[in-house]
Amino acid sequence: MILLNLIIRGLITGAIYSLTSMGIVLILSTTLVMNFAQGDMGMLLAYFAFFMLMKNIPYPVAFALIILIGILFGFLLEKYLMSRARKTSHLGMVMITLALTMIFEGVAGYTFGTMPLLFPKAIGGEPFNIFGVIIDKHDLFTFIISILIVIILFVILYKTKIGIAARSLAEDEFGARILGIPINSIYLFIWMTAFSLAGISGVLVAGRQTLEPHFMIVIQLKGFMAAVLGGMNSIVGAVLGGFLLGMIENLVSFYMPQIKD
Amino acid sequence: MLKIEELHVSYGPVEALHGISIEVKEKEIVSILGSNGAGKSTLLKTISGILHPKKGVITFENRVINGLDPSQIVRMGVTHIPEGRHVFPNLTIKENLILGGYFLKENEVKNQIEYVASIFPILKERLNSKAGTLSGGEQQMLVIGRGLMSKPKLLLLDEPSLGLAPIAVSTIFTTLQKLNQNDSLSILLVEQNARKALQISNRSYILVNGRVVLSGESKDLIEKDEVKKLYLGR
Repeated sequence: MILLNLIIRGLITGAIYSLTSMGIVLILSTTLVMNFAQGDMGMLLAYFAFFMLMKNIPYPVAFALIILIGILFGFLLEKYLMSRARKTSHLGMVMITLALTMIFEGVAGYTFGTMPLLFPKAIGGEPFNIFGVIIDKHDLFTFIISILIVIILFVILYKTKIGIAARSLAEDEFGARILGIPINSIYLFIWMTAFSLAGISGVLVAGRQTLEPHFMIVIQLKGFMAAVLGGMNSIVGAVLGGFLLGMIENLVSFYMPQIKD
Repeated sequence: MLKIEELHVSYGPVEALHGISIEVKEKEIVSILGSNGAGKSTLLKTISGILHPKKGVITFENRVINGLDPSQIVRMGVTHIPEGRHVFPNLTIKENLILGGYFLKENEVKNQIEYVASIFPILKERLNSKAGTLSGGEQQMLVIGRGLMSKPKLLLLDEPSLGLAPIAVSTIFTTLQKLNQNDSLSILLVEQNARKALQISNRSYILVNGRVVLSGESKDLIEKDEVKKLYLGR
């Protein structure tokens, strides 16, 4: 029974990792940029969400607004920074994402303070107890959301023209350009999607932990590990990697607590 | 249909084309011959909007197209099939074709895939396998098929025979001739294989160091001594 509990809780931790790792893989597999800012974009957006909730904006509305703000950030980043850096240096684009993590953490610490804040859960209340397996409602919600997002992303990337075009960019940008694919809009679309994902994952992770400027760093790292486990180039791999990592981590931390993380 | 006047193109401070004038009429196959570095690929890249000219005018169907984006030029009916294939190896053949018809509506895409599959039956059998699994000749067919997806009126073809077995080269040239005759597709062909190019084209231009040095009917050029000596090797 303990084992089952551990596995299920591991899957839920894994759902958190997969949300971030999907964002990383989406960017990496289409633009070949290692996106360090995915986690911290989520952190900043979680702060925005916190203050919206403090102003008594209902949770679902705040959640939707955060997705929209994430999209806006993605748009601005691609439009004004990435599109220019792309012309000169690939490494420059990676450095931009690194710089963003510093800026986001700095801004968050400066404006909102470094005091850990208690972030509300999506769904509060007593956890479920299903045949001895205890599941927090917020965790279950996180799990369902991440499964939904995998499905949505998969459909976009494999069944829509814009998604197929996004996948073609990493393989041969010149080839895509010469076919008349509007690659600038495709890049915009990719970054907008990635940062809206960052918002979702930031808000959901914040609900399990406390909100402070560095709370997404570990998640970013784990998300990256999940991406590596999943082969770095497939969304489905990223998700499976996330679940696998979450499970292994939970089992290891129970049976061998000294080597957790 | 395509008219280029006094075209100058530079890469930074280095000028690659020094005032080129070329014309392609309806239903014509025009070939551009020349050695490496003569500016053939540069010319095609400028027509399709990848490069922008420093001076000169390019008109297609009486509209000036220099300075436009490749995506706009493709919509007008000019499709560039670049040298070196540029298939997307990890995308399926079907996905490759879909991207070729990026601007088409859903049902048009379907029809165009049928059309391309009728031209290259080999692609039809393998629509769902990855493009990287095709042989060199098949990949070249895919690239041409992908170019045809956008319903072009003018095809810009860069070295379609490069690195292919002779039999594959023949298939591709026969197909091009068929497309030209049956579907009245105009073709601007850049080719190292001068003999083949002169055989299938109506007219030809010979480029040396970014200038047109010789032009005329292909059947006349093929008889000229200097062409024979320099490009046909006899």
